[in-house]
Amino acid sequence: MYVGQAIRRREDDRFLLGRGSYVEDITLDDPIAHAAFVRSPHAHAAVTRVDAARAAAMPGVLAVLTGEDWTRAGNGEAEGVWPVKDMSGADARTVNRPFICVDGTVRCVGEIVAMVVAEDRHQAQDAAEAIEVDYEEKPANTLTARALDADTPLVHPAHGTNEVLVTEHGLKEETEAALAKAHHVTEVVVPTNRVTAASIEPRCYMGHHDTVNDRYTVWTTNQAPHIVRRYFTKSLNIPEHKLRVIAPDVGGGFGMKLYHYPEEALVLWGAIVSGRPVRWVGTRSECLLGDTHARDHHTVGRMGFDAEGRILGVKFETLGAFGAYESQWNASITNAYHFTMLSLAYDIPAIHTTVRAVYTNATPVDAYRGAGRPETVYQVERLIENGAHEMGIDPLELRARNLIPPEKFPYQTAIGITYDSGDPPALVEKARALANYDALRAEQAALRAEGQWMGIGICAFFDMAGAGPVKMMNDLGAKIGCYDVASVRVHPDGRITVFAGSHSHGQGHETTWSQIAADRLGCNIEHIDLVEGDTDRVPMGIGTWGSRSLSTAGMAVYTAADRVVAKSKRMAAHMLECAPEDLDLADGEFTVKGTDRKLSFAAVANASYHSGDRPPDLEIGLEETSFFDPADCTYPSAVHLCVVLVDPETCAVTLRDYWAVDDVGTVINPMVLEGQVHGGLAQGIGQALMEECAYDPESGQYLAGTFMDYAVPHAEDVPSFGLDSHFTRALGNPLGAKGAGESGTIGAPACVCNGVIDALWHLGVRQVTQPMTPKKIWRAIEDAQRAQQ
Amino acid sequence: MKPPRFRYLRAGSVDGAVQALADNPDARILAGGQSLIAMMNLRLVRPACLIDINRVPDLGYIREEGDGVAIGALARHNEVKHSELVRARCPLLTEAYESIAHHTVRNRGTLGGNLCHADPSSETPAVMIAVGATLVLQSVGGTRAVGAEDFFLGTYETAARQDEMLVEIRLPGRGADGWAFAEISNRHGDFAIAVIATTLSLENGRCAAARVVASGVGEHAARLVPAEQALVGGPVDETRLDAAAAAAAGAVDPHSDSHADAAYRRDAVAALTRRTVRRAAERCG
Repeated sequence: MYVGQAIRRREDDRFLLGRGSYVEDITLDDPIAHAAFVRSPHAHAAVTRVDAARAAAMPGVLAVLTGEDWTRAGNGEAEGVWPVKDMSGADARTVNRPFICVDGTVRCVGEIVAMVVAEDRHQAQDAAEAIEVDYEEKPANTLTARALDADTPLVHPAHGTNEVLVTEHGLKEETEAALAKAHHVTEVVVPTNRVTAASIEPRCYMGHHDTVNDRYTVWTTNQAPHIVRRYFTKSLNIPEHKLRVIAPDVGGGFGMKLYHYPEEALVLWGAIVSGRPVRWVGTRSECLLGDTHARDHHTVGRMGFDAEGRILGVKFETLGAFGAYESQWNASITNAYHFTMLSLAYDIPAIHTTVRAVYTNATPVDAYRGAGRPETVYQVERLIENGAHEMGIDPLELRARNLIPPEKFPYQTAIGITYDSGDPPALVEKARALANYDALRAEQAALRAEGQWMGIGICAFFDMAGAGPVKMMNDLGAKIGCYDVASVRVHPDGRITVFAGSHSHGQGHETTWSQIAADRLGCNIEHIDLVEGDTDRVPMGIGTWGSRSLSTAGMAVYTAADRVVAKSKRMAAHMLECAPEDLDLADGEFTVKGTDRKLSFAAVANASYHSGDRPPDLEIGLEETSFFDPADCTYPSAVHLCVVLVDPETCAVTLRDYWAVDDVGTVINPMVLEGQVHGGLAQGIGQALMEECAYDPESGQYLAGTFMDYAVPHAEDVPSFGLDSHFTRALGNPLGAKGAGESGTIGAPACVCNGVIDALWHLGVRQVTQPMTPKKIWRAIEDAQRAQQ
Repeated sequence: MKPPRFRYLRAGSVDGAVQALADNPDARILAGGQSLIAMMNLRLVRPACLIDINRVPDLGYIREEGDGVAIGALARHNEVKHSELVRARCPLLTEAYESIAHHTVRNRGTLGGNLCHADPSSETPAVMIAVGATLVLQSVGGTRAVGAEDFFLGTYETAARQDEMLVEIRLPGRGADGWAFAEISNRHGDFAIAVIATTLSLENGRCAAARVVASGVGEHAARLVPAEQALVGGPVDETRLDAAAAAAAGAVDPHSDSHADAAYRRDAVAALTRRTVRRAAERCG
């Protein structure tokens, strides 16, 4: 068996040896031209003049294009995959992110005003600088918390408000009643910081128009090439069958590379206009500004407890950032992923939330690893942490009193969603043992007596992963079918190619999909190749996002392989003159049960294509496809625990220890799982301690345009992780797998923040907003001490 | 290639480099390029000409000079960081290097280039001032020596004229008995939020001389003279530590930015002053 083994990743040879092939590495017969963009330097401005005459005459320039040209060409508008609906189901105040400024107004820094196509990158950049643009600045607001204030400038004045939509979920009256009768009510303002994925490979696109065959090709740093193909039917009006989308090796996506970005549409348009293939390679500054940002929720929460610390009800009011425009999936955060998981791992009888999505003059917000759930865990867990301290109950003990007991599964939460399986108390007990919790509390007390500040952070949660099922996701708003697809093609020599509609940009599908297929097919893993990321080779697919690929595409591989086995057994039974059910398939051989009669899989494969001697109703060939629509979402769960030290003089935070105990269902490859958890934790720790897409609140200027200003954690900023697992099977797919891509990112911000609060509680500190940089902790202590005086 | 167009000249000697500087009034010297090239790629600086000194022979030396050390303009950060001579004669610089940049940047970047870049949050200017280093500048007209204290004039601004090249850094021998360096940054290796480099001498248990130098909290690295005055003449006890810390905080006028606000920086200066003075005094032992 391969499933469950820590097999080394088959794709790593080429990555480690620098032999990966990314969009920037692709070569073509025709010389490739380069695109450069003129971007708005203002958060909000009228564009009163664009003069490209000087740029157009510069050396090497092939085309200069503006919004007027876009409109004249009859190009279209972006379309939300997850359209924005308000509570009545009606379309909300949607303004889609433009590909290029077409209406004479720019609404965030970085919005594209013009494009230059030139022979080389240098010429394109020089010409872009030579385009003269006049702006008339308008008042702007970049702060989500201020979006609905009476005096806040409107991003889209035609709508008369910055509110995109408002939705309510849960049990309103029950929650009010629970809070009214509560022994103790905790209230915390819990804003989550605006962050971005900061993938190691910047976004990069290349477009090509084959005028002879009237076919188009786009090479893209994208996680879902088939959805890109669908988007192009709207942006450039190209029918799906005319367009080939290739997403080759991609260096990290994290949700951020799921969208049809302006530059992606523009390079193909540039190729059509110039008659040359056109490439754009994003600089780090362009990407930190123009990649979708994430989180940026502003929430006020109230949680009521009884005298024993049991949670009676919890209520939230949230402002959820959209940025200046609707990005294509944003509504999946505010309308689907965020509110659904508000019960976390706790048995909470009453939950109610009101979410107002709002526009600001900032980069559009969309899904990033966790998409809505890091906000959810943060807001609930911050309330639990403060509640425990206020009531004088040990924070882990208070959580333990509220966990969903295993006998309650399947467990329907007060918000309406049903978790299929899980065992939160087992996770907590494993975490308690792993961290040696009681000893940590003793150490904390001893250090505090010496004037040292140590804190223990905790969180426990469920994640909604594995989207679909198609119907459920349609009901939550998705306009795409959330299935996935795989084909298993057996070649006449018995070797196998698996084609999957997923895309691996770090996940290791070449290893894990092969492990699944090799087990089902009883073959050597080395005999399997995987093809992903090319819409001409894999006709359909939905792509990799939301911890979904294992329970959709992985299950499609599983199902298609089983169909191949069933068909090949019929052929083998015919050749061995027995019944198909009498056959075992293992180690590349069919064996008639209880005998030594054998036939190789390769011989059956060859006969399947080339022998006329076959069962009369058995079709030639050995290739099967499965479109897999899971029976349910998956619900991974986890408990995180950490130790932080805060320097009493400088307020710098050291994250000393971090433990995570995960329930991700069936594990295909423990090493790949560990890698997923490590990476997720690092990104979540970054959100907690250092990452922020900061804007100047006065000017609306973007302040995080380089890696000197946008801090991602270095290896030395994260501790060595202590991981454990406790598995319960997912019920929605036969593999029993739940997905593991987002767990680390979802839990870490809450866990680390709770650790800092725990370290500083005795000083009067009740909240420090993320990222918890030394200056913010210093300020929180100053404010707390002033308040106490 | 992301920078605007520029002319590239490769110097074969120091004389050739300074001649090229004289001939090209908008030229910059290219040593390690770890700041200059990044700023050119961002199109924040646009020199018309770069004079590359990386092929100039024998300019990367670190050698004894009397009881001090002379460091050539092309000595890479990591060469200085790992130099036993520097560790023996200027351990404050060795200690500071624990906080300076990252391994790959230190492999290529040079101490001389770092000083000429004069970033207001850079660590090395504070160290140079604290130890009383001398910087040797050369032009076609000859050479002159400038004390580190007089070298840093403002943000990215030094006493070196456009036609002058920094050719050598001279560190004096161990003048002070004690020394310590401390920095606060959001991540190790990042631009500093606040830096304090301190040198100190004790005589009969009393502070005979002190230099407390700050970086990251003003236009350029500078001595915090009131803090030094609070120390000199008495024992380095808690009272004097508090006085020096308060004087240091009062002597700076820091800025606010997205990394830290002015009030935090001022408090950080006090904390780092206390920390470095205490450690420097302990080392005098």
